Amino acid sequence: MNWIPDRYRELRSRLRPERIADDVDEELELHLALRAAELEATGLSPASAREEALRRFGSVQHYRAQTCAIDESIRRERRRMEILDAVRRETRQSLRALLRTPVFTVVAVLTLALGIGATTAIFTLLDSIVLRPLPYPEPDRLVQINHAVPGVQEGQEWGNSIGSYLYYGEASTSFAGWGAASATTLTISGDGDAERLGAATASESLFRVLGARMVRGRLFTPEEDSPGADRVVVLSHEIWQARYGGDPDIIGRTIHINAVPTPVVGVLEPGFSLPNHETHFWLPLQMDPARADINAHMMFTTYARLAPDIMPEAAQADLERLVPNLPGLYPNAYGGTWIERTGFTPRVHALRDVVLGATGDRAGVDRVLWMLLGAVSLVLLIACANVANLMLVRAEARRRELSVRAALGAERAHMAVHYLTESMLLTGTAALLGILLAFGGVQLLLASAPATLPRLADVALSANALLFAIGVSAVTGLFFGLVPIIRSAADFTELRESGRGLTVSRRRQLVRNGLVVGQVSLALVLLAAGGLMFQSFLNLRAVQSGVEGERVLTFNVTLPWARYQDEAAVFRFQQQFVERLEALPGVDVAGATSSLPLAGVGGCSHTVGEDSTTGGCVPTVFVLPGYFEALGIGVRGAAPSWSDLERRADGAVISRALAERLWPGQDPLGRRLISFQDGPPWYTVIGVADDVRAEGLDQPPTQAVYYPVRRPDAEGYWGPELQRGMGFVVRTTLDRPDLLTPDVRSMLREMDPEVPLSLTRTMEDVIMSSETMARTSFTMLLLGLAAFMALFLSGVGLYGVIAYLVGRRRAEIGVRMALGARVSEVARMVVLQSVRLTVVGIVLGIVGALALTRSLQSLLYDVVPADPLTLVLVSGVLLTVAVLASIVPAGRAARTPPSDALRAD
Amino acid sequence: MKVDVLQGTLDMLVLKALSWGAMHGYGITRWLEQTTDSALQVEEGSLYPALHRMAKRGWVKAEWGVSENNRRAKYYTLTTAGRQQLRREAQTWEVFTRVVSTVLSAQPTQA
Repeated sequence: MNWIPDRYRELRSRLRPERIADDVDEELELHLALRAAELEATGLSPASAREEALRRFGSVQHYRAQTCAIDESIRRERRRMEILDAVRRETRQSLRALLRTPVFTVVAVLTLALGIGATTAIFTLLDSIVLRPLPYPEPDRLVQINHAVPGVQEGQEWGNSIGSYLYYGEASTSFAGWGAASATTLTISGDGDAERLGAATASESLFRVLGARMVRGRLFTPEEDSPGADRVVVLSHEIWQARYGGDPDIIGRTIHINAVPTPVVGVLEPGFSLPNHETHFWLPLQMDPARADINAHMMFTTYARLAPDIMPEAAQADLERLVPNLPGLYPNAYGGTWIERTGFTPRVHALRDVVLGATGDRAGVDRVLWMLLGAVSLVLLIACANVANLMLVRAEARRRELSVRAALGAERAHMAVHYLTESMLLTGTAALLGILLAFGGVQLLLASAPATLPRLADVALSANALLFAIGVSAVTGLFFGLVPIIRSAADFTELRESGRGLTVSRRRQLVRNGLVVGQVSLALVLLAAGGLMFQSFLNLRAVQSGVEGERVLTFNVTLPWARYQDEAAVFRFQQQFVERLEALPGVDVAGATSSLPLAGVGGCSHTVGEDSTTGGCVPTVFVLPGYFEALGIGVRGAAPSWSDLERRADGAVISRALAERLWPGQDPLGRRLISFQDGPPWYTVIGVADDVRAEGLDQPPTQAVYYPVRRPDAEGYWGPELQRGMGFVVRTTLDRPDLLTPDVRSMLREMDPEVPLSLTRTMEDVIMSSETMARTSFTMLLLGLAAFMALFLSGVGLYGVIAYLVGRRRAEIGVRMALGARVSEVARMVVLQSVRLTVVGIVLGIVGALALTRSLQSLLYDVVPADPLTLVLVSGVLLTVAVLASIVPAGRAARTPPSDALRAD
Repeated sequence: MKVDVLQGTLDMLVLKALSWGAMHGYGITRWLEQTTDSALQVEEGSLYPALHRMAKRGWVKAEWGVSENNRRAKYYTLTTAGRQQLRREAQTWEVFTRVVSTVLSAQPTQA
């Protein structure tokens, strides 16, 4: 029976290099000896016979070397063939072995595929959004210049005014390029339906800062970017394709932007956009230096490229040095104590941080995604533990076979190859399936991701993600391949020591239990994290937004300047529109606002009250009558009526939070206030509105001034003259207010077909998709999904181990039954075993959760990471699963007939 | 008269020698000497790289055996592939020699 390894050994030795030389030498020597012998036979002396033989042979050295080289190449080739053969043979054998145990194979592959798919899907998001550099040349040198102002949320910092933009750009040495833009939405009409589409006004220099390239035409010239020049437009590649069908003669074509005919001069390369704003139309900014001293509206987003070797901190210090010069340069805009009073200070943020929302202390998208990757990695670990356990059981079942093979002389290395091939086949299949799952998962993620998630358009399963999936599978494959190899060492001794045992080897059981305990503890960590997010979600839901969103439809209507140049025309249209809205069947009341609550923050302006020592930057909101009623915001006093607007009365409404700050403990009605950023007039407070958390559910109530849309006539006013774009709110009697949309649309078309209806949503949608809410529900959804998978896999793991144990202990249980143990006692014993393991896992898991959930801190709302309730609840859930997982095996154990004590193996 | 032997030609001659049966290297040398009456001019050593190369190509098979003087000797036998190769080379050779001799025996015409 020994001939296989023997032949193998002989083959190996035959192919060793020194053996090759020896063989060649022997062969050549024989030739020489035979020749010499023959010559000797003709009468030559041995010496000269040898000499003559050598002469006829030629250079022994040369031919020996040649021959050896040929043999060496034969050896190498044969070795290659053998390896190839072995791989093919092993693959075939492993495949056959896996197919012989289809349940094991399917469960293992699916489990791993789930883990690999989940991690790959999340990694895809992380890679596309966080890891991949921004789509501009040398993106790490790009910065955004903001101004932080106390009272203004981080992430909503101010931009630059004309004055600060021009002065910084000229006086600072920290930047190699400097450009401004203002993101906006424009009405595009003419070719096809009127649409509201993303656009930007941008300085001509911005394209150089961001490294834009054209596919058609050209960018703006400096002349076109100067004040008063005729407007031209540059299109994104995407809109050129989508709206203009990739028209090859697009350059020079005239399109209607806000009802103004504008010639197209260029088309940008695919994918070029402002960061975080889908930009399809680019118009020249035409910043007017002559207006620099008129006001300090910090409304231009400024992008810059750092000069070589300058760090953002140094650039910021540079700008801070320049700030004190602003009042001297622009006395009207920055005069007096404006800078001290507002407390404004320049900030230089890496553009990447701005895009990810990771400026200052805010938890950026990067942190959320890394955390989610961590969570799904735990799921993968749990899946691996399950498969490891399955592998152990399998190894157990094949222990005899393998030990026999080992005893017959199969080499360790050979068996290692066998195991590795098997696990590589498993993980390879799982990887393929996992990548498919990830592909679907990414689509699902994209569908449920909040619109505020940056770079969503860039998300795609990339080569990086595929490499990641392959890498993860290779590591797990290697791991599973190695586990049984380490274990097989034990199997050699096992076979020698015992043939059959009543109980399972203690150490082996320890490994299995350890795996299950580990699973349970990881699942607890995930459940705790998911539970905390769920609590935050509930807490946020419970927050009184101050708005009654049910049955309210909202949408935006923006009147193009070209058709509504006159302030009176805008007002007339808006008044008529509201009247006709209220006449629609199913409509209670309609109103409008310049800034819808929880739909992103508009500007704020510095406002001071009469006889009040405190001021501050408060949101400037313009409203039409009906607004407060439509959103169910109570008003003490009165809100401006249509007739007030008609006669340009100076009455305004303020929120209670603002009233309490400006005039604490006093009656604000009849007091006066002024926005010193917009200048006169003074407004009289005629109403106090109930508080609304307009800036985010996790933010304090907004301190807002609700101005009438028509400003009183006043000298020196430089605020917005009128609001062409308004968010309308319509309170209906319908359960589904969105069913009203077609009526509204056709009515609007009747009034003016060039005016589009946009951003049509129910108010409830607005609240649910507000930034904090959307982020919380998205994180909760994903963590919850991860926690659910973890729970499910751990349950399966527990079931597997308990069922296996019961199977192994059948004999013992049979003995107990024979000795009179009651059914309930046996069942309880099995269930307790599962519970015991789970309790150990829970204890470890709580320690882990306490350590890990702290990283969730910034994502939580009104709940501490170490929330005892959450920990207790999820422990309960796990214990329930532990009991459930052991019920079936317990039942089976309880039904064990005593005769099994004799029969079992 | 003695002639030099080209590499490819040596292969063919060796294959021909082996077509009579298994031989070791020296046996092949002796067979060639006898058959050609020692007319071939070739260094005996060059036979070995040629043999091993043909073994690599699978034309011949080598096996250790015992020589007439009772020493370990490597015996070569022709494989099926080697037999086919021999047939191919012999055909090519025949055509070649016929063409060459036709050319050489041609009578000068015009020009």
